[in-house]
Amino acid sequence: MLLRRIYQFLIIYFLGLAILLGVKYALRLSNYVIPDPLLLGLTFQSEALRYFKDVLDTMSIAIIGQVLSICLAVLIGILGRQTTWFGSFVKVAAYNVQAYPIVALAPIIFILLGDGFLSRLLIAAMICYFPLLLSVLGIMAEPIGDIEHFYRITGRMRWQLEVKIRAFENLSKLTTVVAGSATLAMAGTIVAEFIAANAGIGYSIRIALYQSDLGKILIALFLIGISLSVYQGLLEWAGAIIRKTWESR
Amino acid sequence: MHAHPPMRLACRQATFRYPQTASAVFENLAFDMPGPGFNALFGPSGVGKTSLARLLMGERDGFSGELQMTGIKRVLYTYNTERLPGWAAVGQHLERIIAPRQHEQKDQLVELFDMTPHLGSRFAQLSLGQKNRINLIRYLLQDFEMLVMDESLANVDEPTREKILLGIKARFPDKFFLYISHNVIEVAKFCRHILVMAGKGRTPSAAMVAGQDLTGDQPLERDPLERTMLEIMNAA
Repeated sequence: MLLRRIYQFLIIYFLGLAILLGVKYALRLSNYVIPDPLLLGLTFQSEALRYFKDVLDTMSIAIIGQVLSICLAVLIGILGRQTTWFGSFVKVAAYNVQAYPIVALAPIIFILLGDGFLSRLLIAAMICYFPLLLSVLGIMAEPIGDIEHFYRITGRMRWQLEVKIRAFENLSKLTTVVAGSATLAMAGTIVAEFIAANAGIGYSIRIALYQSDLGKILIALFLIGISLSVYQGLLEWAGAIIRKTWESR
Repeated sequence: MHAHPPMRLACRQATFRYPQTASAVFENLAFDMPGPGFNALFGPSGVGKTSLARLLMGERDGFSGELQMTGIKRVLYTYNTERLPGWAAVGQHLERIIAPRQHEQKDQLVELFDMTPHLGSRFAQLSLGQKNRINLIRYLLQDFEMLVMDESLANVDEPTREKILLGIKARFPDKFFLYISHNVIEVAKFCRHILVMAGKGRTPSAAMVAGQDLTGDQPLERDPLERTMLEIMNAA
């Protein structure tokens, strides 16, 4: 699972790089526009460690943001699963609010909260929260009739049992959604850093952009991709372990 | 000895149609089924057996007419595609849904249903017939006056099914069972009253046929059984 994630990323990354180099050599572009492999290697040597620390900085914020989003999405998903007016209200509100692009709100967040940790965290959490919420709401609002019937008809159904049944039956879906939301959280944090923050890999990419240094950007992308692949692979692995443990307890 | 109130399930001028549909699933259905005992609902697919069962459960949308249940307070409905949650063994699930005083009864039912070796298995690991058997056991351990069994013993082999039906009849003589089945021999053999719902366009829409109501301590007579089967087939 973990290895598959990594080699899938490596294939895509090096395929993209090959296309870029193909364009460079086909159009005879200078190293200033697209650096050659030797220059890329030198850039990697000089910047990889610093960028890796930046990626870890960004990722730590993305993970905290993702955890917050998961907690909130599960809470709202549980409340919104009901067929009462409150449940319907939560669902409608969630669907409507998510239609608004969070990135468009980022400048307001930076103006109000400054360009530090909190702004990055808030934007990361908001960007991965809504897709998570919609998935969790969808899962929690869908009755598993052939299992729930007995508990309903005999008056044994409690909200905890309802949530447990629906979560158990959709564990694979939930794992996929959580692993997928890691990309969103990371993207959210990078976007936030790119717009206005003063730390993280998004900030480093912004500096590289000002320097028109594609080599640095490509190294940053490589480190972001490989770190994210490892993280997602670990999440999927953890999901599989949880599922296995739950099923064989 | 505790005297049970007489049980009766009656229906007058009952019509059922799904919302936003013009044609009725059944129309002007009328019957009177005394209880307790092991009774059946028989008829071809689509005549409204499951719809009638759901009406008994109180799902009245699309229903008009009169439905009377005398001496029946608690109705349970079970069907053959129900599942138990997969996070624990089926034996553990049974333990969780019974009162401590019911342990002996649970053990007896598990033995009657030949499920003792499978209590440690997860629901997904069981065969279709085993799944239906374990599902029915948990319903029999609940508090009810009427249990509607919608194809509840589907995929169970005939000798085991026979043993189970006779066992249920012997253990729950004061309960009202409504057994929905497509097996004419089975309903003719084991049921006391059989409500045969006729196919579309036929009149009357339903007929009550007296079954052989076989119990474990009486021999089966071929001729009456064949007559009952013929009556059922003519009415369907």
